[in-house]
Amino acid sequence: MRELRISREGRRARRSRQKLDNPLREGLRLERVPDPSTFVLFGATGDLAHRKVIPALAQLWRTNLLPHEFMVVAVGRRGFGDDEFRAEMRASLEKFGRVTLEPPVLDEFLERIVYHQADFADDAAFDRLADRLDAMDGSHGTRGDRLYYLATQPSAFPVVIGQLGRVGMDHEIHGGGWRRVVIEKPFGRDGETARRLNREVGRVFRESQVYRIDHYLGKETVRNLLVFRFANGIFEPIWNRRYVDHVQITVAESIGCETRGAFYEETGASRDILQNHLMQLLALVAMEPPASFSADALRDEKVKVVRAIAPLTADDVARDVVRGQYGRGWVAATEVPGYRDEPDVDPLSETETFVAARFHVDDWRWSGVPFYLRVGKRLPKRGTEIAIRFREVPHRLFRDASVDPEPNLLAIRIQPDEGILLRFGAKVPGLGLDVRAVNMDFTYGSSFTVDPPEAYETLILDALLGDASLFTRADEVEEAWRVVDPIIDAWAEAKAPAFPDYPAGSWGPPAADTLIEADGRRWRRI
Amino acid sequence: MATDLIASSPWSIEPARPGEPIQRWSSRATTVEEVHRELARIWSVPRLAVEVDGREERHIAARTSVLNLVVVARRPEIAVGAADTIGHLAGRHPSRTLIVIPLDPDGPSWLDARITAVCILPRDDAPETCVEMLDLHAGGEAGRHPAAIIAPLLVHDLPVTVWWPGEVPFKQPMAIDVFALADRLVVDGSTWSGDGLRQLAHLAQLLEREGLTVSDFALDRQARWREAIASVFDMPEFLPYLRSLRRISITYVTHDDRGAPGATNIVKPVYHVAWLASRLGLRVTRPLDPVGAASGPRTGGGRAAMMHEGLGATLRGVHDVAVAIRPVRSAAPAGTTLHIELVCERRGSELRADISAEAENVMVNVSLDGVDRLERAFRAQRKTDVDLLTEALEEGGRATVTSDAIRFASLLAAAGIEGSLPSTRR
Repeated sequence: MRELRISREGRRARRSRQKLDNPLREGLRLERVPDPSTFVLFGATGDLAHRKVIPALAQLWRTNLLPHEFMVVAVGRRGFGDDEFRAEMRASLEKFGRVTLEPPVLDEFLERIVYHQADFADDAAFDRLADRLDAMDGSHGTRGDRLYYLATQPSAFPVVIGQLGRVGMDHEIHGGGWRRVVIEKPFGRDGETARRLNREVGRVFRESQVYRIDHYLGKETVRNLLVFRFANGIFEPIWNRRYVDHVQITVAESIGCETRGAFYEETGASRDILQNHLMQLLALVAMEPPASFSADALRDEKVKVVRAIAPLTADDVARDVVRGQYGRGWVAATEVPGYRDEPDVDPLSETETFVAARFHVDDWRWSGVPFYLRVGKRLPKRGTEIAIRFREVPHRLFRDASVDPEPNLLAIRIQPDEGILLRFGAKVPGLGLDVRAVNMDFTYGSSFTVDPPEAYETLILDALLGDASLFTRADEVEEAWRVVDPIIDAWAEAKAPAFPDYPAGSWGPPAADTLIEADGRRWRRI
Repeated sequence: MATDLIASSPWSIEPARPGEPIQRWSSRATTVEEVHRELARIWSVPRLAVEVDGREERHIAARTSVLNLVVVARRPEIAVGAADTIGHLAGRHPSRTLIVIPLDPDGPSWLDARITAVCILPRDDAPETCVEMLDLHAGGEAGRHPAAIIAPLLVHDLPVTVWWPGEVPFKQPMAIDVFALADRLVVDGSTWSGDGLRQLAHLAQLLEREGLTVSDFALDRQARWREAIASVFDMPEFLPYLRSLRRISITYVTHDDRGAPGATNIVKPVYHVAWLASRLGLRVTRPLDPVGAASGPRTGGGRAAMMHEGLGATLRGVHDVAVAIRPVRSAAPAGTTLHIELVCERRGSELRADISAEAENVMVNVSLDGVDRLERAFRAQRKTDVDLLTEALEEGGRATVTSDAIRFASLLAAAGIEGSLPSTRR
């Protein structure tokens, strides 16, 4: 068995040096064009491929960010001819594409897609796939560079990876011919299954070849969080327990589980969002400055944060974590059903659609600062936000003010209306000395003149370029499960909750308010 | 109510459609003070709202916070073209755009300003964001001192980009005063008169001013050529040849019957050489000089004519590098690059890279010792002025590659304001 190996520098660093050797590259706007390569898309007939992956590739093609020698081999179980599959992709792009492609550009892109029918358990189908890819390297100049993208059901991950290993499609060729694999979340159902998956992946691919995709990390504002923290001298000195009172991270969705009832029954909010998106956001907020922006330097610092979260006992879970499930209610002037009435959901389901939790990052910087995390479906509005609440001033100078000055707040909006808000006290005009909180609000839309790319565009391009900075490493996944597993285990042991406990269109169950109000704080109304 | 206030002002409350700019305000002024007052009026209506489906609901956000764009258009038709380009920037507008059109320099002093606010709705659920456009026609003395109009009308604390389309009077006080306000100067060297090299030297001098960054459409327009050239040496087997470059040959389009140096703007072909040489750390040992008189028929599809041999220069790195810039008659726009050939020699082996462009494609052909080794085509659209201005506005910081290319081009063109291509200016 091949051990998981986490390279200190990673391929990206070596690649960067190699690229810099060409002095003509400096300053070119299209610097980040990947090598000629083949994109092998497993699960090509699925929803993710249609909605996200193919539209992202088309957009990259439209903006000349893919090499001329680029092919997409779409692998799926269903029987399609190349032309038939292309017609299906054309329809998907019309429906889900961010920007309409000019007809000649669209035709050029579609010409680069071929379909390969394969049952993932069928050895012969993978043998044929290997032969086809080898032939394509010669006929289309793709030079053996391959990105395997697993847009399949999680249960198919080990099967596909095993087949890739069996046929030797993981082998990188000296002097060129890189092989990388992109795996979509969820990375296991718990720590044990995550470790098993990592072992199975590790039998075939080195860790530096593995790109675990969490699309939240590709969002422009999440990436900007790093820039905000580490490219501005004024915030980092106050980014610690001496100045920060607490941190709130909210992922609010106004939609329900829609057509994903069966999937959601298996995951719930804790597995779907808390273990990955919320833990990643927490890590980015709380991490120490990395020594460099290389993939492993960044991920080393993130994983330290998650490691510093003390494991929760059953009593801790009862005190610090709240779960909820939505019932019937009104969202955006529309009456919506409760979770238990959604399609493919057990009428007596105990799956949580809301989680609020209080975590402590036990390190020098954050000791004593609570991190309040909440995620929920069917909340009044969609919004993802990180809010840093600063401590009150040590001495209240304006005692005669009719309202106490609010402590300062820094809110980083991740979606929608991406931007950053700083709230501070200002004197109310007049003869008195009233202080009122006002907002200094930066929005991306009004300050930058370009549309940010979709998260999938960013991440797929990074994977093609060999930049793993925004992908999750095996140890990060396992550490996040170490935090979340005790919560799920404690719930499994506890008395059945009185679900539903919050109406759709509200901000979650009353217990969530109690959780934070017990500390003399309250949730931000986003 | 905001709507009542709007009713008595030049505000338009028409609903907008996502992605389509809509003019929300228009008024006029005849002094800088009046312009200020009008600008203040635009944003004095509290909680600006527009009607959607008969209800007052969608709010108009304040103006964007990006930069000031100043356009100095010395002829009305240039102003029209510039305004059209800016209009096509759509959601990429700077915060405030000032188009200054000096007119009738010997007449009485006057100012006629049109103030507009143009808003755009990024998507249905977002507030509109707006930009201010000032068309400033200035006559007489006022027109001879555009900086005095521009300076008080800039949004403070935002960077200033000056776009000077067409011929730039680098040495005139009116231009020098405007340059002093700029953080970035945007020009198009390919539109300059003559061969454009004297102006290039003036542009290079401006780079010595601390804090001023320059964008030249003539250089930026050729990025697709640079991408193609760079891609050749991305390949590990070809990279070692780059340091052994021996010859750079460029052919460009002329409409002049004899292709005499000086008859055609050659800023673009000169930039190709300057970019390559500056990236490779070469130096000029012999600046560009006419190679000889008309010496043979050569055409690029047009009628045969006795064409001039063009210009030659010598550069020096590890080895001497010969430079040849040759004219070819063609129907394509004058000054357009048709073909670039690079020859490298290393340990007795010769690498030859031919780069040419056709429509939206750039083709690269590489041979090693006469054997074809690489044939690639890049799909790279020609950049329009809208693309180029967008890039210039979005580019932040000092563009070292551009600065280096401009400086080298100036040295190559004979280094000096006097210029050293006397034959080109006879």
